Amino acid sequence: MRLWETLGDGYTRRALAEAVLVGVLCGAVGVHVVLRRLSFLTTALTHATFPGVVVAALLGLHLVLGAGLFGLLVVGAVAAVSGARGGGGAVPSAAPAGRGGRDLSSVTGVVLSGGFALGVALMSAQDGFTRDLTAFLVGSILTVGTADLLVTAITGAVVLTVLAALRKELLLGAFDPTGLAAAGYPAWLLDLVVLFAMEATVVTTVPAVGTIMAIALVVGPAATARLWCARTGPMTALSMALGVVASVLGLAVSAQWDVAAGGAIVLTIAALFAVSLLIAPRARPASLRSPAAEPASAG
Amino acid sequence: MTQLLVVPFERPYLARALVELLLLGGLAAVVGVFVLLRRLAFLTDALTHTVFPGVVVGFLLGGQSGIFPGALVVACVAAGLFTLLAATRRVGEDAALAILLTGFFAVGVVLVSRRPSYTADLTAFLFGRVLTVRLSDIVATAVVAAVVLTSVAALRKELLLVAFDPESARAAGYRVAALDLALNLAIALVVVAAVRAVGTVLVIALIVVPAAAARLLSDRLVVVTAVAAVLGMGSGWLGLLVSYRISVDHGIRLATGATVVLVLVAAYLLALAAAAARARLGRRPARPGAAVAVGGSALDAPRPVAALGADARADGTQVASGTADPGSEAGPGTR
Repeated sequence: MRLWETLGDGYTRRALAEAVLVGVLCGAVGVHVVLRRLSFLTTALTHATFPGVVVAALLGLHLVLGAGLFGLLVVGAVAAVSGARGGGGAVPSAAPAGRGGRDLSSVTGVVLSGGFALGVALMSAQDGFTRDLTAFLVGSILTVGTADLLVTAITGAVVLTVLAALRKELLLGAFDPTGLAAAGYPAWLLDLVVLFAMEATVVTTVPAVGTIMAIALVVGPAATARLWCARTGPMTALSMALGVVASVLGLAVSAQWDVAAGGAIVLTIAALFAVSLLIAPRARPASLRSPAAEPASAG
Repeated sequence: MTQLLVVPFERPYLARALVELLLLGGLAAVVGVFVLLRRLAFLTDALTHTVFPGVVVGFLLGGQSGIFPGALVVACVAAGLFTLLAATRRVGEDAALAILLTGFFAVGVVLVSRRPSYTADLTAFLFGRVLTVRLSDIVATAVVAAVVLTSVAALRKELLLVAFDPESARAAGYRVAALDLALNLAIALVVVAAVRAVGTVLVIALIVVPAAAARLLSDRLVVVTAVAAVLGMGSGWLGLLVSYRISVDHGIRLATGATVVLVLVAAYLLALAAAAARARLGRRPARPGAAVAVGGSALDAPRPVAALGADARADGTQVASGTADPGSEAGPGTR
């Protein structure tokens, strides 16, 4: 294992630490993304924060700061265009059916491609176009610095604390938004919390694995855990563990065979998912069914 | 005016780029109308990413001319996989799509990362090089356009029926899965045709944005299709022109594909403003049921029930009167 041989180097240790942190964070947030079916919105977020990263790089700001600010803008845009609940559309059934061209799916598509195009256009005006672009697109976990590690750790701590504190309310919101509102909770505020947790995760993950593949780290471990677990507690734990395992394994593969680290991590996740799909028990526990699945089977 | 708008295209490479963009813009927009109706934006995004490893392998095996066949094979495989995925419901469809998308994409990245000219290749595959399009690429695009448009036109009624009412389509004996596969293949073909010119990442804009913008302006399917096609082609032309003008006159390099997409997004924002203005003037009140018109032109169709049944419920008000579930309409978020 070449990874262990290079463990003495600072960059390997930092990359490993980053991989573990990102794995834990993404695994935890991913559970909510999977339960609420927000994969596409998360994809759009990863793509749409791209111009923020570019602008930050141009202005010499910290990348995470630029991406974060821009991400807030994007979340606001999706919510504003697709209707009150668009951005926080926790449950598809409650997502705005929308009038034609402004349903959540289309608006997400527009925001996604628009944000990405803006980033590319901004970058193309620069020298050193392709090299930097590649770093943003597929990430460069091996060049992570101590400051990045610190940012990831703080973000992770904050997000995990919030998710743990609001665990019950968030789960209720994922499964039964009407019940949540009826019980007097501010449903939109909770949706917004999920959205911001997603946003913070995506923004801190992007420097490590890149714009395009951050989504795999968020959704992959959680979806794999979902195949094995019927209860959200074990599912969250397994998801976080899988996130860490996949990140570290991916790094090892990348060091061993000299391939892109981001790609190797994502491939590990995909392999874990595929294997789980084949060998996980088939019975689908009713307790974890999202409400969106119900009318489908009924109608 | 002609000096500004037409003269640049006397240069052969710009003329070729223009023809390619016009072809792609029209083709993608027409397919995009079906993507819009079925809310397949995420699937389209997934297809655009999954084609990537095909592009890489094709390039590694056969150079520039290997890209098209490589992408074609992988796109067909991916379209088949997605159709299968939609049929089984073991995992949330969106989560599975996300994993497939990134998994395929990662294969491409890993393969490219072994090459010495890693970054330049990656950029070319992802964002395309519309200015280096060759005549053979244009011919390939034209053939794809002819095939896709003919089959979509031939299957128009069936595809619409499945889009609006998959249950009765199934009851009437149509093979919904086969029709889904046909549509997915059409999307995949468009993605493949666009790979060389605009790359795998920005194709989704060509497909999704014109239809979404056109849909804001009209309730009638024929009008939406026509407007979308015009928008797609017009944006291709304008984007190419803007990118050329800014690069030549002001010395600021501006990636052509990205410029085309930005023009499209601007058009969408204009359409959004126009729709809002119309609604404010009261000529187009937000109303349930009114979207139903003769000839199946009520465009707020539910997605296939098997995949996303919940939407059918939320959409009920506009598809047919009286089927709406008041519970979903008066959900917490709408208050």
